[in-house]
Amino acid sequence: MTKLIYKELKLSASPLSYIFIAAAFLTFVPGYPILLGAFFTTLGIFYSFQTMRENNDIQYSLLLPVAKADVVKSKFVFTVLIECCSFILMTVITLIRMLLFKDAAIYTANALMCANLSFLGFALLIFGLFNVVFVGGFFKTAFYFGKPFIAYCIISFIVIVIAEALHHLSGMDSFNSFGFDRLFPQGAVLCIGLLLFVVLTSFGIKKSEQIFERIDL
Amino acid sequence: MSVCEVRHLYKEYPSFLLRDLSFSLEPGTITGFIGRNGAGKTTTIKSMLNIVHPSKGEIFYFGMPLIGNECLIKQRIGFSAGAVNYYQKKKLRDIAAVTKSFYQNWDDAAYKKYVRLFSLNENKALCELSEGMKVKCNLLLALSHHAEILILDEPTSGLDPFSRDELTDLFGMLKEHGVAIFFSTHITSDLEKCADHIVYIRNGQIVLSDTKQNFCDRLGKSGETLEQMMLRLEKEARDDEADL
Repeated sequence: MTKLIYKELKLSASPLSYIFIAAAFLTFVPGYPILLGAFFTTLGIFYSFQTMRENNDIQYSLLLPVAKADVVKSKFVFTVLIECCSFILMTVITLIRMLLFKDAAIYTANALMCANLSFLGFALLIFGLFNVVFVGGFFKTAFYFGKPFIAYCIISFIVIVIAEALHHLSGMDSFNSFGFDRLFPQGAVLCIGLLLFVVLTSFGIKKSEQIFERIDL
Repeated sequence: MSVCEVRHLYKEYPSFLLRDLSFSLEPGTITGFIGRNGAGKTTTIKSMLNIVHPSKGEIFYFGMPLIGNECLIKQRIGFSAGAVNYYQKKKLRDIAAVTKSFYQNWDDAAYKKYVRLFSLNENKALCELSEGMKVKCNLLLALSHHAEILILDEPTSGLDPFSRDELTDLFGMLKEHGVAIFFSTHITSDLEKCADHIVYIRNGQIVLSDTKQNFCDRLGKSGETLEQMMLRLEKEARDDEADL
């Protein structure tokens, strides 16, 4: 598996996947729908899948002495690796905003989502959706990715709009408080986001392995 | 013992059927796989590599079924599909560095020998190479891990006559070392030069699988070259179909 991951990083990945990790810095931008940072990170991963297809990466991988299931896992590991890099960066920036800028007017006068634990939970949900809808959808054919990408875009934008506007609903303002005021509800969102990320990604891997074993290339 | 045995292979597509293919590959022999475009050569080769899944039939390598022993078997076989079309922007050196890590038997000395033999520049990206050089890149990767069977899908297409000659000489050398070579081609002169055995496929069915000598004796007419024989057989088959 480590050899396949090395192959992903060395041959298969598009440089844009690494560059788009920097989309996590959007978390710093005031008055911006910061969840789009998570979406842009996944967009960078999408470019790698495009590069992989152009370079017949799947065919190359299948000729190597490796199990087909490992080919699937290596794609997911690569995807999760990029997502983790972005998430760590988002977490650091979120903590900076929560600790150092919790009273900064530029952030408190924000109609959209604040950088807090709820935001991180929703970012994980978006990553999980990418893994199951896009990556899982790609492995239905191991070639076509247009439909899975459109489906992912629609779903993720719905989630982003809901998450960014959630605090405007009555009783939901605690999800958008600044600093460490409402840690419990926000921590719950983070935990649910993490759980969904794990469940969706695991489901995507399992389903993709089953389908990839059956399809003709 | 056969190093590869294809038994009653069937593959059904909506508009094409590969029917009851059976043949075997012996160590130290070169088997040519011929047939028209769309006859089922690539489907057969893909089935032999588990890239497409046969509807029926079994494939054995070294006495082991392919299903369930794929990783072990792929350590011992090499595959090349004409011009390499993987990772066009990457240098050959980088692709080889990654590929070698997967093979227990990768031999750096053999790799360097073939790089010199094929006059390849490792520092060039694949997109900078001619089609013929790309074929050689593919062969280089297939040969550097001491594969016991080489499965080659049109390895000589795109090569100039001199390179083709070099390649068929190389096949002869590998054969002496006990390597079984199975290659599909449209260039019958390559078969005439180096093949020991010929498998001829038409419309998804094997017409004949025999030694080259028996093949020519059974299907050929006096003084016919292999190319003339193939053209005649295909025309006869076309005329028969038209009559029906």
